Amino acid sequence: MSALLRTEPLVVVRSARRRFGVRAALSGADLTACSGEILVLLGPNGAGKTTLLRALCGRTRLDGGSIRIAGGDPADPAVRRRIGFVPQSIALWTQLSVRHNLELFGRLAGLKRTDLQAAVADTLEWSGLAARAGDVVATLSGGMQRRINIAAGTLHRPDLLLLDEPTVGLDPVARNEVHQLLDRLRKAGMSLIMTTHDLVEAEALADRVALMSAGAVRAEDSLAQLIGRLFGSDQEVVLMLAAEPAPSIRDALRDARLAPTNEDRVWIGRLGSGLEHLPELRSRLIDAGADIAELRIRQPGLHGVYIELTGQVPHE
Amino acid sequence: MTLTIFRAALLQLLHDRGALLLSLFVPAVFFLIFAEIFATAASDQVQVHVAIVDEVRSADSIRLLAALNSEATVTVISGVADRDAALDLVRRGTADVALVVRADGESLATAAGLAAPPLLLLVDPSRNVAATVLSGQLQRAYFTALPDLAIGRVAELIGTEFTEFSPQQQAEIDTGLAGLRESAGEGQRGGWSFEELLEHENVAGQTAALNHIAYYAGAVAFMFLLFAAAQNAVGILDDQAAGILDRIAAGPGGVTVVVNGRFIFLVLQGMVQGTVIFTVAWLLYGVDVPGNFGAWLLISFSAAVLAAGLGLLLVTACRTRAQAQILPTVVILIMSAVGGSMVPRFFMPAWLQTLGWITPNTWALEAYSGLFWRGEPLLALLPRCAGLLGAGLLALAVSHLLARRLVPP
Repeated sequence: MSALLRTEPLVVVRSARRRFGVRAALSGADLTACSGEILVLLGPNGAGKTTLLRALCGRTRLDGGSIRIAGGDPADPAVRRRIGFVPQSIALWTQLSVRHNLELFGRLAGLKRTDLQAAVADTLEWSGLAARAGDVVATLSGGMQRRINIAAGTLHRPDLLLLDEPTVGLDPVARNEVHQLLDRLRKAGMSLIMTTHDLVEAEALADRVALMSAGAVRAEDSLAQLIGRLFGSDQEVVLMLAAEPAPSIRDALRDARLAPTNEDRVWIGRLGSGLEHLPELRSRLIDAGADIAELRIRQPGLHGVYIELTGQVPHE
Repeated sequence: MTLTIFRAALLQLLHDRGALLLSLFVPAVFFLIFAEIFATAASDQVQVHVAIVDEVRSADSIRLLAALNSEATVTVISGVADRDAALDLVRRGTADVALVVRADGESLATAAGLAAPPLLLLVDPSRNVAATVLSGQLQRAYFTALPDLAIGRVAELIGTEFTEFSPQQQAEIDTGLAGLRESAGEGQRGGWSFEELLEHENVAGQTAALNHIAYYAGAVAFMFLLFAAAQNAVGILDDQAAGILDRIAAGPGGVTVVVNGRFIFLVLQGMVQGTVIFTVAWLLYGVDVPGNFGAWLLISFSAAVLAAGLGLLLVTACRTRAQAQILPTVVILIMSAVGGSMVPRFFMPAWLQTLGWITPNTWALEAYSGLFWRGEPLLALLPRCAGLLGAGLLALAVSHLLARRLVPP
């Protein structure tokens, strides 16, 4: 995890509000982001992550509150030139070559003709795509297409890069390649704000995380700070059952303050002060009829933070 | 199982409104349009608008024209000042054909093919049907309204050629036959026929066939301009589906540059298409494009602007690619059928010709017709081109509004 640059924040969001009909997509969201850091936006579907990303790139006008990027309004074209946006889908002309895509998106991002070739060559180089510059995008692997998708958003060397789930659908190897790419951008001093549903990815990449629910940012800090604040010295207990629990066992698990994960057989909870409570918990569950396959304790992670702050189990 | 597949196909059709529209509605509309056109062309219900100039104003000409006026299929445009005015009306398409009872020909009573016929038809070759219909109606009017002239001349013919005559009469006949022989020797036709009364003059000079080629060049060009523009404009929806629109919308240009960029491409594409079609018309059929290059370029540019604007409008009005594959096709097919791109407008009944004016095909065709048929000067073509350009830019403006829906707010 890179050191945070303790300078004036590049991005400052204050009380951002936006409604779509009766639905409040943003209901007073606050956020800051600095240069040279990766800020990961987390939250359940409908929490307002995508609306916040769109507002950050000047696409969505706020009903109230403010967004400042390098001191300016993102609706201003001059400010927009300092922002890069990477959509969730492979937003490329897949029948054209890598080079043609980069040239075209460079121009659309506001690059002057005189600066274009140097920017394309530079981008091809650092993204590791130089050898495939002449290849038609459609013929490349999914991982490579993802890298081009990101590279196409960085040709104009933005100060702020917004990424909407940049690794969705990738295998671990390709995902790792994308992570390396994002790390390079961070080290180059760029500010990256990205959304993801992958908590492992968030733990690996994020300098800071911002957890959103119901249109607001519930917490925004480094993972260590959040864990310390939410769990103190508490540990996390992970219970794996041998079979899917019956309703009566579910009730008993909830009574023991355990919460289900996406897998019905895996439950997670907090353990007051330490190991001394574990035998007591185990006895209570066995008495309730639970068939325990595994019971262990661990240091709390993002998963626990997510549940604590959003009250929901993350969709990983 | 066979029935299951049948049911699946039926359900898919019923759920796909576009396919349903193409399968049921469009064929019915096309049938109606073409039935109207061909039923009218094949029946005696053709309405011919005739500009009439009576330079003689004799008792005979007045009787003939009054009888013609009473024919159900003829609509007389009266009050035409002179032959030039009539010519102008035909060239502009206000009249299908003009009839001149001319002062510089033989009289209706004595016409025998010895000089210019007494009646002159000014015919636009694109409306030959109108001239043919009018010739028939003229014959009927002539034999109905002027029986004394007609029968008197027939009796004279029989008296001179078919009855028994006295020697003195025979001598006179011989003299007459000698006269007829002499006339025949001089290239004059013997006997008498209605044709001697009538002369056709082509208002388009020697370029009758070329006019048809020019018409079809314009008609085909504009229809394909529309199809090609709509086909290419669908790329905007492809970009939307791929997320490219989302990416561009986040940039400094926004969606505006997407619509404008596509518009410029479509205009140039239209210009190239128009150039190819008219180059073929020029090289193979001699349509005088080089001689009218400036005006042709102006019309082609204006038509390309209109086609580009409409192509974008039709596509941005759709919410999905599936819709965009159906709606523009349906609209363009119907506009082309009604507007004269498939069947010449002059074959159509009057109401369909009038209806055609709501289609851009008719506007473009009339602009090309103004240049290549009626030989209108550039100044006269300017309002038509301004109309094409204005409509194209209006369609572009609406496309901009519609395109905003393509990216989420």
